[in-house]
Amino acid sequence: MQEELKRIEAEGLTELKAVDDLRELESLRIKYFGRRGSLSAVMRGMGKLSKAERPIVGKLANEVRANLTEAFDQAEEALNQRAREQQLEAESVDITLPGRLPQFGKKHPVTQTFDRIQEIFRGMGFQVAEGPEVEHEYYNFDALNTPAEHPARDAHDTFYITDSLLLRTHTSPVQIRYMEQQPPPIRIIVPGRVYRCDSDASHTPMFHQVEGLLVAEQVTFSELKGVLYAFVQQMFGEGTRTRFRPHFFPFTEPSAEVDISCTTCHGEGCRLCSGTGWLEILGAGSVHPNVFRYVNYDPEQVTGFAFGMGVDRIATLKYGIPDLRLMFDNDMRFARQF
Amino acid sequence: MNVSIKWLKEYVDFDLSPETLAERLLMLGMEIESIKQLGEGLDQVIVGKIKAVEKHPKADRLVLCTVDVGSGTDAQIVCGAPNAREGLVAPVAVVGAQLPNGLTIKRAKIRGVESQGMLCSEQELAISDEASGLMALPDDLQIGAPLVEAFGLDDVVLALEITPNRPDCLSMIGVAREISVATGNPLRLPEVNLQSGTTDIHELTSVTIDAADLCPRYAARIIRGVKIAPSPAWLQRQLEAVGVGTINNIVDITNYVLMEYGHPLHAFDYHRLTENRIVVRRAKPDETLKTIDEEKRELTPDMLIIADAENPVALAGVMGGFDSEITDRTADVLLESAYFYPPSIRKTSKALGMHTEASHRFERGADPEGVIPALNRATQLIADIAGGEVCSGIIDVYPGKREAINIQLRPERVNFILGTDIVRDDMRDILTRLGFSVSDTFEVTVPTFRPDVTQEIDLVEEIARVYGFDNIPTTLPRGDIPIPKPDPKENLREGVKTYLLQCGMMEAMNYAFYHPAAFDRIRLAPADPLRQAIPIMNPLSEDQSIMRTTLLPSLLANAQRNRNHQINDVQFFEFSKVFLRTEGDEYPNEPERVAGIIAGRLGAGVYGDPLRPGDFFDIKGIVEGLLNRCGLSDYTVAHTDHPAFHPGRRAEIRIEDSTLCVFGEAHPEVLENYDLPHKAYLFELDFERLVAVVEPTKQFEPIPIYPSVNRDLAIVLDVDTPASRPAEIIKSAGGKLVSSLHIFDVYTGEQVPEGKKSLAFAIEYRSAAETLTDEIVDRVHDGILDRLEQQLGATLRS
Repeated sequence: MQEELKRIEAEGLTELKAVDDLRELESLRIKYFGRRGSLSAVMRGMGKLSKAERPIVGKLANEVRANLTEAFDQAEEALNQRAREQQLEAESVDITLPGRLPQFGKKHPVTQTFDRIQEIFRGMGFQVAEGPEVEHEYYNFDALNTPAEHPARDAHDTFYITDSLLLRTHTSPVQIRYMEQQPPPIRIIVPGRVYRCDSDASHTPMFHQVEGLLVAEQVTFSELKGVLYAFVQQMFGEGTRTRFRPHFFPFTEPSAEVDISCTTCHGEGCRLCSGTGWLEILGAGSVHPNVFRYVNYDPEQVTGFAFGMGVDRIATLKYGIPDLRLMFDNDMRFARQF
Repeated sequence: MNVSIKWLKEYVDFDLSPETLAERLLMLGMEIESIKQLGEGLDQVIVGKIKAVEKHPKADRLVLCTVDVGSGTDAQIVCGAPNAREGLVAPVAVVGAQLPNGLTIKRAKIRGVESQGMLCSEQELAISDEASGLMALPDDLQIGAPLVEAFGLDDVVLALEITPNRPDCLSMIGVAREISVATGNPLRLPEVNLQSGTTDIHELTSVTIDAADLCPRYAARIIRGVKIAPSPAWLQRQLEAVGVGTINNIVDITNYVLMEYGHPLHAFDYHRLTENRIVVRRAKPDETLKTIDEEKRELTPDMLIIADAENPVALAGVMGGFDSEITDRTADVLLESAYFYPPSIRKTSKALGMHTEASHRFERGADPEGVIPALNRATQLIADIAGGEVCSGIIDVYPGKREAINIQLRPERVNFILGTDIVRDDMRDILTRLGFSVSDTFEVTVPTFRPDVTQEIDLVEEIARVYGFDNIPTTLPRGDIPIPKPDPKENLREGVKTYLLQCGMMEAMNYAFYHPAAFDRIRLAPADPLRQAIPIMNPLSEDQSIMRTTLLPSLLANAQRNRNHQINDVQFFEFSKVFLRTEGDEYPNEPERVAGIIAGRLGAGVYGDPLRPGDFFDIKGIVEGLLNRCGLSDYTVAHTDHPAFHPGRRAEIRIEDSTLCVFGEAHPEVLENYDLPHKAYLFELDFERLVAVVEPTKQFEPIPIYPSVNRDLAIVLDVDTPASRPAEIIKSAGGKLVSSLHIFDVYTGEQVPEGKKSLAFAIEYRSAAETLTDEIVDRVHDGILDRLEQQLGATLRS
């Protein structure tokens, strides 16, 4: 009987090696472990054994059953493993086929530039103010120290709505409106659309500006330099040089134009900067005392500075867009790029 | 303003390269438009004199010139210029010369005749754009000499951009003064020593000012017996270098002094003035004047004119009159030097559309004290160059003399404003070099050539400018930062923008104006209030002539533009103000709108994400998702009659009985009007209204504790019944237990009778208080079906 058990074990292990799929394994399991299986047959014969033989054979029978069970389990695990592998293999995809991209839109490059400018100035404590685009001549010119017949009005090719209403030519009128409503201290930026009757590769009849105004008890020109320096470093990258040049605006004095080292050639001179190494990006200056007088601020009590920049121009510089008019064509091939 | 370096050096010494000079001027506030080296590429161009002109034997339009080139051997040159004549002195490019335009001169046969060089026009030498004939050189140049030397072309010209506050820098002396400030070298003004004759000017003429408010000063001199001729070479060269054309010696001299002093002068032919006298007055109604450009000008009574005893003879400060201008026959000259009220000159020049060198300076403010020096300088030059006798005495009517402006400067205030610590002596030094006089107590007297300086801040700027902006420190602002105010509108705008971007729409940016026909193209009725657009008085074109009242035409035009470039699938949104007329208010209303368009197909158009045409439910979904994003659920979708949309595929969102948004499929005629071959879907939303109805914060709702039971319900009902009806009934019959409801299928066709449709609802039941049993759900579900049967005649689909 002991020999019989050993034979069953050896036979079982041999047969198991030949098994190739789970179904065969199952029938083999029945052959050995089933109610009529070989092991069961041996066990049924246990009763005929002597008392002395019974524990020995019983132990051996348990060992054989355990060995075979383990072998069957291993075989099953291996077959399962192989089946899974085969399934995964069958499920493999061509990874070079295109991904299913979520369709998402993109902000206009001018908006992206606006966002960045606002973020930088918000970080310096400026808050956003707004004003009307159809503006009164008083706010657009007079109160900004630019009376009628002032030659500085020549620089603004103005669209008129009526004799006294116009499309604002800059965001500066919001300075006046804000100061009329609020006592100092003031730290605002004014993003907005402005208009001038001009249209070529570097001018569009509508464009965008960000105005800045800081008014407090003592504000110096050196602080204007500091704020704009900080802006340029963040907007155009650390190490960008800034240059303040004297200029003239009726509503600031001293007035400056601010250049940055060319974003393309970094000052070497190239086509973008017409060989000068510099790009003009904004106008600025200390608030003119006459402007304070217009809004009933006492220029002996407060000082301030203001600046204004063309957002579209900064966007064209940042993205290398050669023609400003592309901004307003709304071509999908343009919109997708930014 | 063009300045020649050679010319500037007559007034100030400096040894700077043109580039360095440009840099110094730039940092003083004068931008440089260009730096032009004169005479470049003219190495082998010499002065020649035409000795004889013969006809070309084979070409009617060409002539053979025998040209003295100073070498003893005359050159034979074929020439086609109409002004080639015997005795003309003209530039000759000799064989081997390479001209600025790239042309190389070779010995060549032109129509069979040998030509040994080329006679040149100004354009060919890149001196000016003048190409109508040979450049006529002054007769007194040395024949055979290199043109560059003989004509003084070894010069550099800077084109400066002078800001409108600095009329003093519209002159050689003004710019030289800035160079003197920058270099510390002294400024030299021209010396004038007039030798006058015996006749007193007062015996010959008189000046009456009848409009002293517009003409504070008018001075005149008379030079008798002048000889009108071309100007000498040096004068012609200097004028041409800075871009002023030459006419005759008298006119050239007035222009020369204009450029030198920045003070415009005018020379009259004395004998062409009725009664030989001058009256400065406003024009009379219906008066006209033929100006020297031979245009007849209609004058109005607010214009200042110079008249003789009867008629206008010059448009004061703008342009002289044709009838009294200097001609070859002029013998006696009345020379005007005046100061006019700047706004008056500007008004006149704008009204007549005339912008001249004179008006440019007068409207910015000439120097009232510069009247006499400029007059005397020009008088002396006339006497020197054109001969004649200067009458003794001067007429100087000066009703508007003003006291010099004195400004008390506080040196500590300068440093306070600039954030600097400039010492007082440096401030004094800067101002003095600029021509100001400064007392011990810093009372500053402003020179009359600086009309821009009227208050302390103007002096601060002068000091800052010369001290150097580069030398002002860079510091950060001190003091309190104002407490920021919340900006819910901006937050909502950003939220809506982000949502629309997530919907796959690109952000568009259009002009705020369009063509009035836009309203026809979107089929607005003649009486539609949206047609009440605000027109621009002076548009660039009709395409940009009225302010937008709706964004829809712009987005349709964007789709059209893309379509013209073979891009049919377009998704855009735009945020923008529109401009609406208001009753009673001077200003229009500028409410903000957001609008969007889906034209053509959606999807990426790749394997696994094919393109599919958009439809009504795409645009409705975008709108409803937007409302959901804003936390709005209490709205209705109602019919609209907006004419831009397909009548059966348009709707509006209503909140609290007002319209928030319209959307739908573009009307087929609208598609045609914009050449769109595929369907397009649009929405336009009143953003101001959205801001008003949105709750600032969403409130937390507890997450359900008990499980839900999901049941589907497919019913058959009349095809005309809108899906919202059964949905409302399900919600009302199911009460609070219906926690969510979706339509997941709509079907007509086989298995559904004619005139009927099948709607399938997925209903989720849930109680906040207990786990629902099948019995409870069955009862409610059956109740719902009963109500659907009773109210809509719906049946359960088998």
